[in-house]
Amino acid sequence: MIDPRAVSGCVRCGTCRSVCPVFQETGWESSGARGKMLVLKSMTEGANLDSWCRDSLGTCTTCALCTQICPAAVRPTGLIEEGRRDLVLANVTRQEHRRLNRNLLRYGNTFGDGRDRLGWLGEEKEMLPKSADFVYFAGCVNSYRYPETAKKTFQILSRFSVTAMPQEMCCGSPLLRTGFDAGFLREANLEQMEAMGARAIITGCAGCYTALKGYGGLEVYSVPEFLNQRLEELDIQPLDLTVCYHDPCHLGRHQGVYDPPRRILEAICSLVEMKASREKARCCGGGGGVRAAYPELSQKIARRRLLDVPAEADAIVTACPLCVRNLRDAGGNAIDLIDLVSRALPPSL
Amino acid sequence: MDLASDLADIVGERLSCSSAELYCYSCDASQVRGRPEYVVRPKDRDEVSMIMALAFEKRVPVTPRGAGTGLAGGAVPLKGGIVLDLSSMDRILEIDCSCRQVLVEPGVVRDRLNLALLPSGLFFPPDPGSSAMCSIGGLLANNGSGMHCVKYGTTRDYALDLEIVLADGSVIHTGSQVLKSSAGYDLTRLFIGSEGTLGVITAARLRVVPLPKARRLVLAAFRSPEEAGLAVNRVLSAGIVPAACEILDRTTVEVLHRCDPHLALPTADLILFEADGEPTAVLDEAARIEEVCLQSAISIDTASEAAEMEEVWAARRLVGAAVSRLDPKKTRIYVGEDVGVPVGMMPVLIRRVQEISEDAGISAMKYGHIGDGNLHVALFVDLSDEAEVERAKLAAHRIHLAALDLGGTVSAEHGVGRARSSYMRLQWGGALDVMRAIKRALDPRGILNPGKLDLGSGTDCDTADAGAGL
Repeated sequence: MIDPRAVSGCVRCGTCRSVCPVFQETGWESSGARGKMLVLKSMTEGANLDSWCRDSLGTCTTCALCTQICPAAVRPTGLIEEGRRDLVLANVTRQEHRRLNRNLLRYGNTFGDGRDRLGWLGEEKEMLPKSADFVYFAGCVNSYRYPETAKKTFQILSRFSVTAMPQEMCCGSPLLRTGFDAGFLREANLEQMEAMGARAIITGCAGCYTALKGYGGLEVYSVPEFLNQRLEELDIQPLDLTVCYHDPCHLGRHQGVYDPPRRILEAICSLVEMKASREKARCCGGGGGVRAAYPELSQKIARRRLLDVPAEADAIVTACPLCVRNLRDAGGNAIDLIDLVSRALPPSL
Repeated sequence: MDLASDLADIVGERLSCSSAELYCYSCDASQVRGRPEYVVRPKDRDEVSMIMALAFEKRVPVTPRGAGTGLAGGAVPLKGGIVLDLSSMDRILEIDCSCRQVLVEPGVVRDRLNLALLPSGLFFPPDPGSSAMCSIGGLLANNGSGMHCVKYGTTRDYALDLEIVLADGSVIHTGSQVLKSSAGYDLTRLFIGSEGTLGVITAARLRVVPLPKARRLVLAAFRSPEEAGLAVNRVLSAGIVPAACEILDRTTVEVLHRCDPHLALPTADLILFEADGEPTAVLDEAARIEEVCLQSAISIDTASEAAEMEEVWAARRLVGAAVSRLDPKKTRIYVGEDVGVPVGMMPVLIRRVQEISEDAGISAMKYGHIGDGNLHVALFVDLSDEAEVERAKLAAHRIHLAALDLGGTVSAEHGVGRARSSYMRLQWGGALDVMRAIKRALDPRGILNPGKLDLGSGTDCDTADAGAGL
C-alpha cells in the first residue's frame, strides 16, 4: 500500500523536472517524477485505477535521479514501485509486464526461454564445483542474450574459488520493479545458496545486484567490486584505448558503486567521463520495465544518453547487460566491462 | 464539433484530457487546487493564437502555465477550461552578443539560458531558487527575481520586448530592440507580473549582462536574526552594493546541515554577502563588508573558490523545499512565504514573524533576500493535523498583515495568484480598480486566468469563486 504520509512529503517544487529522463522525452506532467507523485497522491485519495495511472507510473525507469536530487528527501522511485504493486493487485497492468510475469513463473527467466540457463557454460557445466566460497550469478540477460559475456566473466572469476548456481533463477528484479511478487524466485535462489555453503554471490548485472541485495542476509558483490579488490592478481595488460564509463542506475545511484569500475578501467586504458556521470549519470532508458512495455520511449532516452559520450571515447563501457543492450539498440558502441577485462588479460587466462 | 476536437485540430496529440494529466495540472507548488478540462502543449505562437481565438469565441477559460513551480496558484485553473502548458515552447531563438540581447520562447528554463550564454561571457541575472526548472515565461509572468536582485534587479529590469497573444488571439509586441523609448505607455512592464491575466507571453527579448570577473562570499554569523538585519542596514548605509545579501536563520542553517553535514556554515543566524565585479574591487568591497559586520558579528568567514561558493548557493537554492529533513513528519506549506518590506524595516519584520510563529506554536524557517527587503518564511506542519494546518494559515495571515503594516507587500517575487488575492484591496486600495479596468479592457470576456489577483468583475469566466483555494 502507498504510504500517504510519504507521498505528502512532496512539496511539488519541480526540482525533479530538471532531471527526469522520461519527462524530458514526453513533456507531459504526468510522466515526470513530480507528476507521478501526484498520481500516487490521487491513488491514496481513491482515484480510479485506470490505464492513465498505469502509464504514468509504468513509464518510470527507476533511475532514481529524482530521489538523488529531491530537496525534500522524498524517494519517488520506491513510492512508484509501491503504486505499481497496488496496480498489479487491481489488475491494471501492461500486457508486456503480464507476459514477463508469466515467463518467470513458467521458465524462471524473463524471456520465456526454455533452454538450459547455464548453456553458456557448455561442457564446463559438468565440471562445476558443487560448493565454493563464491557463487557467480549470471542473470537472465547475460545467460540468454550475451552468453559469451557470462562465459568470460565466469572464466575470470574461476580463479578465485567461484562456482555457479546449477538451478539459477531470475533474481526477481523485473517483477519487483513492475509491481509483481518475486518471493518465489528469491526463495529458490536462497535455498541453493544455502545448499552450496557459499558465503557470497557475485553478479555482473546492476539490476540483479540491487535485487540480490534486497534478499537480505546475503553478501553480494558486483563484478567490478569483486575484481577491483583483486586487481593486482589479474595481471592486466594495458590496451591502447580510450573509453567512457556509463554508470548503471542500479549500480551507481541505487548502491553507490562508482569507483571500482573506474579503477579497473584506469588500469586497462584511458578513461574519460561522460557529460553526466556518477551520481548525475543519465539513465540508459532500459530499466523499470520501460524497455519491455514502452520501447519507443526507452530508445529515445537511450539516444539522449548517447549525446553524453565524449568524442574521444572509442567505446562506452558499462557494468550492466541491460544498459549494454539498450545503448547498442540506440546505436551506441556499448560493451560490458568484462569484455574489456578479458581483452586485457594474458592469453593463459 | 466539441472543444476537444477543435483543440486537437490545432495541436494534435499535444492535447490531453486524461484523468492523470488533469489531476497533475490541477496544482502548482501552492495549496491552491483547480481542475482543468483540457491540457494543451502548443509548440509555437501561431498555435497559441489559434487556441486563444477558439477560447475567446467559445468563452472558455485559459490558464497559461510554465513549469508549474509557482507558489501562489497562479497556474492553477480555478475555473476549469484549458491549461496552456507553454513549457514545450523552449527555443532560444537568438543570442546577440554585440547588443547583449537574447530572444527566447517562454518555455526556456532559466538555467538552460545561462548555460547557452556562458561561452559568450554573458548571463541573465534573475536567479530564483527554482532556476534549474522554472521557465522564463513564469519568471516574466510573476516578475521573479532571486538572490542577486539586490544589485541586479528583477526580471522586469531585463525585458525589452514581449510578444503577446491577446485574449482574442491577436498578437502584439510591447517593445522593440531599442534600449530606451519614450513613445507611449510601457506595456512591457504592464504585462510583466500580470500572471497571465492580460495575455499570453509567446516570446521575450531580454537584456543580458557580462559575467563578473570575480566573486567573493562573506559569511557573517550573528546572535539573532534581528542583529543580522541591523548589520545589513549598516552595510547598505555605508554605500556598499553587494551582489547578493541573504539571510539564513539558525533553523534554516540546521536544515542545510541535515541536507549536507559537511557544509561549511556555522550554526547561527547568518548573512551571506556576495561581492562581484573586477578582482581588486571585489576584494575591497568584501573587506568593507567585513569591517562593518565586525561590530556585531560573532564570526566572519570568506570564500572565493568557485566550488566552495557554489556549494553554499546550491544549498541555499534548495532550502525552501528541504524542511522535512528536520522532521520527516512535517511538510512545508507555502503560505505567507514571500512578504516584502522597505529594507530598513527588515529587523522589525523579522521580530514580528518570530512572535507570530511562537504565538501559533508553528516552527518556522526564516531566510531570503534581506538586502532587498524580501523575507521567505517557511512554516512547516504535520498535514494530518488539521488544527496545526489552521494555525499555520492564521499565522500566514498575520505575517501578511504585518508586512502591509510596515509599508510592504504580500508578495515580493512569487506573485499573488489565488493564494494572496484577498490582500489585493488591502495593499492597493483604489489602484485595484484601475487594474480591474485594465483587465476588462484587455480581456472583456474574462477568459484569461480567471480567479487570480482579485481582478474578478462579473465577466463571463471570472465570477464567483469556484471553491478552489487553500
